Amino acid sequence: MSSSSVEEITDQSNDLFTQDGVLLKACSGRPVNELNSIGMLCIVQNSDGTKSIEWRPSDIITVCAVQEQDWALVNAIGRRQRTFSGNLTADYATARARIIRMPLNELKIFRVTNRNQQMSFSNKVGVWQSTFFFQHGNAEVFIAYLKSHVKTAKSSRDRNTYLVVEPTDETRALNRSFTELDIFQENTTDVVWNIVSNLKERPYETTMEAFSKLSSIGLDYNSGSQLLYYGNEASSKRDVSEEVADLLTKSMVAAEEAHSVTKSDEYEVISMKPTLPPRPSIPRSTPLSQEKWEGLQDTLGRVTEMDGVKQLIFRGGVAHSIRKQVWKYLLDYYPWHMTHAELKALQKKRTDEYYCMKLQWRSMTEGQESRFTEYRDRKSLVEKDVNRTDRTHPFFAGDNNPNLETLQDILMTYVMYNFDLGYVQGMSDILAPLLLLMGNEVDTFWCFVGFMERIASNFDMDQAGMKHQLLQLQQLVMFASPELAQHLALKDSGNMYFCFRWLLVWFKREFSLIDIMRLWEVLWTGLPCANFHLLICVAILEAEKEVLISGDYGFTEILKHVNELSMRIEVNKVLSSAEGIYHQIISAPHLTDQIRIILGLTPLGTSAPTEDDDAPEATGTNCKDNDAAANVSTSGTDMEEAVLEYDGIEISIVTQTVWALLA
Amino acid sequence: MSSKKKVLLKVIILGDSGVGKTSLMNQFVNKKFSNQYKATIGADFLTKEVIVDDRIVTMQIWDTAGQERFQSLGVAFYRGADCCVLVFDVTAPNTFKSLESWKDEFLIQASPRDPENFPFVILGNKVDLENRAVSAKRAQQWCQSKNDIPYFETSAKEAVNVELAFQTIARNVLAQETDAELYNEFPDQLKLTANDNGRNRDGDNCAC
Repeated sequence: MSSSSVEEITDQSNDLFTQDGVLLKACSGRPVNELNSIGMLCIVQNSDGTKSIEWRPSDIITVCAVQEQDWALVNAIGRRQRTFSGNLTADYATARARIIRMPLNELKIFRVTNRNQQMSFSNKVGVWQSTFFFQHGNAEVFIAYLKSHVKTAKSSRDRNTYLVVEPTDETRALNRSFTELDIFQENTTDVVWNIVSNLKERPYETTMEAFSKLSSIGLDYNSGSQLLYYGNEASSKRDVSEEVADLLTKSMVAAEEAHSVTKSDEYEVISMKPTLPPRPSIPRSTPLSQEKWEGLQDTLGRVTEMDGVKQLIFRGGVAHSIRKQVWKYLLDYYPWHMTHAELKALQKKRTDEYYCMKLQWRSMTEGQESRFTEYRDRKSLVEKDVNRTDRTHPFFAGDNNPNLETLQDILMTYVMYNFDLGYVQGMSDILAPLLLLMGNEVDTFWCFVGFMERIASNFDMDQAGMKHQLLQLQQLVMFASPELAQHLALKDSGNMYFCFRWLLVWFKREFSLIDIMRLWEVLWTGLPCANFHLLICVAILEAEKEVLISGDYGFTEILKHVNELSMRIEVNKVLSSAEGIYHQIISAPHLTDQIRIILGLTPLGTSAPTEDDDAPEATGTNCKDNDAAANVSTSGTDMEEAVLEYDGIEISIVTQTVWALLA
Repeated sequence: MSSKKKVLLKVIILGDSGVGKTSLMNQFVNKKFSNQYKATIGADFLTKEVIVDDRIVTMQIWDTAGQERFQSLGVAFYRGADCCVLVFDVTAPNTFKSLESWKDEFLIQASPRDPENFPFVILGNKVDLENRAVSAKRAQQWCQSKNDIPYFETSAKEAVNVELAFQTIARNVLAQETDAELYNEFPDQLKLTANDNGRNRDGDNCAC
């Protein structure tokens, strides 16, 4: 298959048929690292009316979407000269160059193998130019559609190989007669594909209607000698009626599998959307209790079952009575393996460090301050925000509340701890629940440091971390909820900007203080995968999908609706759905490397990891946790796997000890 | 018979963190003031219907985060804006000095069709406070030097001039756009109708 240059690929081409989840297995003239990447196989109509088979790598679809993101215009230069954060433009060009395209009028031969899952194409006999593997289902519908556009004959030597033959005069005549009949306004194949799309909506009526129409044509034009649905094998010609019959049979499959049917100007575009397996309903468990927590520490106070503890917390959170203690571990202030005595020493050391840093800014004279603009600006920004952080909560309410001063002191000391980052809006939101729980200034500070360690990239000067996450979220929605992704893209909301607040402060503004504690402690476990917070977003959005789509919500309505979800989301419900979505995604047969990478799983292909290499790590510490979780099942002779199963999907690996505790 | 069509005006409020953007919006739309508004994260908007010379005008008022680093994301919301309200705090001179860069930044990011004549309004907020540091005269002079931008001294807390300022915004924008179709301010928003504008644009495309 010829690899066309970028210029040839005009935006005027029109998708007639698309099928997702098609893997590029082989292509002559293409480097090995481009192989095994996932994409979409399409039949497109070019601006000049000719048609082509086109394969597009999945990342181009994403990259295209990124190009449309307004906020990606970071560098405020001229409108058209602005560059994108990172190397998206380069990625885009690279992705475009990877499009494979073959004009239908050059197609000479194709072959279907591997239980109809694999197709090879060529423009000359003797060498296959490209091979594709249909990850989801099989190639039958694609072949049926292809056959409706080219005249084929089966090879006499290999019944899986089709030769493309020139349209004969005979079939042209027949086509014409169908047109003259004027029952069908368009050409026959389009009519059949209309029927296919209608089948989805009204299967019974559509079938009967179509059958009656087609039979009457058949009777009139073939004088009853040839029944449409039983093409005469002996006949040397494979005529249109046979094609129609073929298509109708295939259409049954299509009607079952086609998930989205969108109208283009002339044709029904039938997208084959791979579906996710059903979502397992995973119940939440009870919080880690004081009793269990104490049982998990040895006599010296060491927590030996870190992985198990995290599993428990992931399943049910932490009982409020021990939160204060457990959070110090979860936020990497206390190392799990330390004894009581070691912790005491550590705490003393950290206390000294804290007060040393605090003294650094407290000892600054007014004169110094007046000559230190950057410091002064930060201080005033902190002051402004502290005065408007959770003031409705009794802990922070009222004038001259000492807790506000503590918030201010911790944030100012953090400025000294990490002057490069300084203070960014949102940090006071992150800090407030920590102080509310800990009470103690020093402990709160170090827990805050631990939390910031995970989400520092949210506060990047160029917002690269946020942009990266919004892009990852978009990719996850595209995979887990394609209909919603399509709606968002149509409504200029594909950039997911309406989720900005969720991500910046990890849903702090969306939940009450007590609920946010539950959500955060679950997310801090790093289970069951990296970036689970993005799946929380997917779960919330998925629950609103109907409203957004059926209400035909546009850009402003989507933002408003999402903003107004605040304080109306049930934390346990959303955790449970997010976990369910996680299992749906990882057990999907068409799971792509792109999604694997986002979730911290090892990519399968050789080419995929490159795209994310340069990207900033959104949640830096999750990978570590993830490895740890994986180890549970493999390491240690005294540890046994216990696999929970829901609807046939393995959902958890718990060690024997923890399993016993769970029970 | 009033058969004039409804109009939607999109107004963007910009200014440093803590100058009172959210408070002004809420005072205008809900007639309420609270000390407890949280710092705005991301963006939000409120709408209010006002009547200007017999016309019903829906004002859609957009509030964004004030910290500089979040502005690169705000551009998604600037598109299609009919007016930009720049706010400073009369007790904080720095917020007054920032006006210039807010204005420039808005023009760069929103790329209105006619930046020279794009309607801005300046609000000097918090006039109820005693520790005033930017005089009305200084603010007025600056506004005059910038192509006579209308200036109002407001207090979101005590509802001083807030209604008047937003009414004026609506009136000015409508006055400016009587000849042209609303929304034509932005190329992206242009509807493909067979008017002169449309034809010119087709012509322009060839030159690209």
